Amino acid sequence: MSGVTLEKIVKRYGAAQVVHGIDLQIEPQEFVVLVGPSGCGKSTTLRMIAGLEEISDGQLSIADRNVNNVAPKDRDVAMVFQNYALYPHLNVAENIAFGLRIRKVKKPEIAKSVSEVADILGLTEYLDRRPADLSGGQRQRVAMGRAIVRHPEVFLFDEPLSNLDAKLRTQMRAEIKRLHKRLGVTSIYVTHDQVEAMTLADRIVVMRDGRIEQIGKPMDLFNNPVNTFVAGFIGSPPMNQFEATVESSDAGPIAVLADLRVALPKLPQLQTQVGRKVTVGIRPEHALITPQDGANTIPVDLDLVETLGSEALLHTHVSGNPFVIKTETHGDVDHLYGVKDVYVSPERIKVFDGETGDVFVHPTQG
Amino acid sequence: MEKKFSWLLQHLRREWQIYVLLAPTIIWFILFLYKPMYGLQIAFKDYSIFRGIAGSPWVGLEHFETLFGSDTFLRALKNTVIISALSMCFGFPMPIILALMFNEILNQTYKKTAQTLVYLPHFISTVIIAGVVVTAFSPSAGIVNTIIGWFGVEPIYFLTKPEWFRPIFIGSGIWQEAGFSSIVFLAAIAGVNPSLYESAVVDGASRWQMMWKITLPSIMPTIIIMLIIRIGNILEIGFELVILLYQPATYQTADVINTFIYRQGLQGGQYDVAAAAGLFNAVVAFVLVMTANTISRRVSRTSLW
Amino acid sequence: MTNMNLYSRGDKLFVVANMVLIGIFALSTLYPFIYIAAVSFSSGFAATAGKVVLTPIDMTLAAYERVLSEPAFWRSYLNTFIYTIGGTITSLIIIIPGAYALSRPQLIGRRFWNLVVAFTMWFNAGMIPFFLNMRDLGLMDSYFGLIIGFACNAFNIILLRNFFESIPASFEEAARMDGANEFQVLWKVFVPLSKPAIATVTLFCIVARWNGFFWAMVLLQDESKIPLQVYLRQIIATLSDDEEFAATLLTAPYSVETVTAAIIVCSIIPVLIIYPFVQKYFNKGILLGGVKE
Repeated sequence: MSGVTLEKIVKRYGAAQVVHGIDLQIEPQEFVVLVGPSGCGKSTTLRMIAGLEEISDGQLSIADRNVNNVAPKDRDVAMVFQNYALYPHLNVAENIAFGLRIRKVKKPEIAKSVSEVADILGLTEYLDRRPADLSGGQRQRVAMGRAIVRHPEVFLFDEPLSNLDAKLRTQMRAEIKRLHKRLGVTSIYVTHDQVEAMTLADRIVVMRDGRIEQIGKPMDLFNNPVNTFVAGFIGSPPMNQFEATVESSDAGPIAVLADLRVALPKLPQLQTQVGRKVTVGIRPEHALITPQDGANTIPVDLDLVETLGSEALLHTHVSGNPFVIKTETHGDVDHLYGVKDVYVSPERIKVFDGETGDVFVHPTQG
Repeated sequence: MEKKFSWLLQHLRREWQIYVLLAPTIIWFILFLYKPMYGLQIAFKDYSIFRGIAGSPWVGLEHFETLFGSDTFLRALKNTVIISALSMCFGFPMPIILALMFNEILNQTYKKTAQTLVYLPHFISTVIIAGVVVTAFSPSAGIVNTIIGWFGVEPIYFLTKPEWFRPIFIGSGIWQEAGFSSIVFLAAIAGVNPSLYESAVVDGASRWQMMWKITLPSIMPTIIIMLIIRIGNILEIGFELVILLYQPATYQTADVINTFIYRQGLQGGQYDVAAAAGLFNAVVAFVLVMTANTISRRVSRTSLW
Repeated sequence: MTNMNLYSRGDKLFVVANMVLIGIFALSTLYPFIYIAAVSFSSGFAATAGKVVLTPIDMTLAAYERVLSEPAFWRSYLNTFIYTIGGTITSLIIIIPGAYALSRPQLIGRRFWNLVVAFTMWFNAGMIPFFLNMRDLGLMDSYFGLIIGFACNAFNIILLRNFFESIPASFEEAARMDGANEFQVLWKVFVPLSKPAIATVTLFCIVARWNGFFWAMVLLQDESKIPLQVYLRQIIATLSDDEEFAATLLTAPYSVETVTAAIIVCSIIPVLIIYPFVQKYFNKGILLGGVKE
């Protein structure tokens, strides 16, 4: 198995630069997810790794071999496309075998590989069918089968689940994860869905406007976003953010927004920021509806309660800013309609620079 | 410069196969369509087969002066425009009417059968069309004279009468193409949003009203585009059918530019004068087509090209 | 709505009247063919006297016997098959790869090459320069000349190119990653995916070849190479003033009209045979593809 290394990878279309020098080291057997809003350059980056787009600048290596000028077929990578790109005139077995046939693999060998792959993916009984006669999930599996059968060094996934309905997506997500565990092939996966990123990735790469915003394990990104963008992108519902001014008090730094005063974590830098604008971030999960020792009490105006089952989302306002709270229902939502205050521990609060959006972290963590 | 060159070299090394695939097409176009454009210069030369295209001496606009001083050419030009305009007046609405009518047929089998029948003549060769016309209009044996005979009319030698050439020519054109041309309009009708009809039904519209108030306005852009194309091609006449149907007795109304070119050039050997007539035809056609395209771009916002 | 009970009386009248009118039009389209068929099976005397209207009069196969006993008829029939099959295959061999290449975004000068093709739809040199060019190329009076000289045209290339362009890029990309080269992408992916468009183009080629007459008449001098259409035209043009033939008519059971009609029937039959197979493609809207650009 082999890793993938991107060094200062740049993509230009004429004068327009869409990827601005990406550095990324992907370890062998790692599952890395590139995530970001549309137009962030994640797909372009993936396609450069695949060899479908020329690399304008920088170096790309797969298994310690520079592949900048290597044709896609010789890079030893396989890709699963968003629309699957299954050939409608070929049946499942022929679709899976296509790459092997092109490479002039011997027939008995092809038959063996195809049946192995079909077995892994549970496609054995559909081998004679045409793609048109398959369900969405089955087509998705065939597309993966076509990638697996070649035993590539690296799998590339380009939003492979976005054409499926929500239920199937959850199911296929688990299947991809299971498959990765079983085969242990280095995988690079592009999606705009942060849930997919969180559930699948060993490491997530958050991208915006052709740049990497943050790289880290899913929980690192969730707990320690480096800026307001990552904080807003990772987590569902996203982190509540509102602008406030830093002031100091006897108990430490506080954020002031109109008549609301919120105690902040005791970060040394904040002492020098008095009077500055900051963005205060509070995760919906971290706003509790039961009183806590040493927690801020924040009065909220409840707009509506969204019941999800074991959990509920309370859509509220705090001093005119929308504020979402996620809480357990314990089987009953009636009591949630009486919520007037929420309690947030200062240590759970994230503080970001009002101008740059960068997070303030404790010096020992930094 | 060198960087660009090495990039090109690399591109060709990787993508040479597309150029191999493209080559036969481009070679064919150069050899059979662009090389003759080079040969068009004989319109300005005193062409002789022995001296060849390049070796023949220039004569300027002499051939064009000859043409425009020639009654035969001017007659051909006039006939071309008249025949074209008449076939447009009578031939253009037919496919639209047919498409609207086909659209109102509910029984699919009936519709398919009728369509099969009216498309068929499109696939029949001009020679056969001419053969059918000659047989049907024959003075002694033809069905047309048989029928008018029932009403006591004396047999008419249709194909030798100049006044009958245009109606026969245009009529056979409609018979051959009206059905097949309706496909374009049927496709446009198929693109009309069905909920328009559903809401009209709920509002109590009759089928006649729906045809006039929904279907026809919806396909108007297609109609306008097709009309503009047609105007752009006004010099294009199915001259093969003219060659097959006309005779010296009917030249007066039947001779068009392309038949003139055929007689002067291919039959008479006056290649240079005929080429000049062809060049005139091609230039006028080019200007008309380009104008038509510009207009259609304005009208429909989607140009033909 | 297909339930007639839901219609008002006016609508019912409209629908029925419309069906009747379409029926009349369709039958009048068909009538000339019926008439010709009836003439071809009638006796020469009945045809010449103008007695044939709908069905054969004095039913006889004499005209067909006369036509089918003519070696030149069979020769020209065979020639038409040669031109049609050879010409269609040649056309596809040039058009399919060309249209594919013109649809590829990575082709350098793609706009220019497309213009080279499309320009010929708006401007062409015309009959005389084309004829002189064929003569200069030494392509007169040969099977090869007639086949290659009309192998290609802008309309078919553009129609097919538009279809290729509508195929999602991921099909090509997936095939490329699987190791397919351009030839394999075209042959194993694009051609099978484009069956309706290729069928349409093939149909156009076949029809054009089967019916082509003008250039065959102009370019071919050798009687043994002429296609059926040129033969038919010669028969129509010469039968009537061929004195020897006219002399035989006095005693023969056929006439100019019945012989002409018989040749027409023989020449239409292959068209009628393939017509049902290709007809399903007419309504797929693919024909529109050629109208745009």
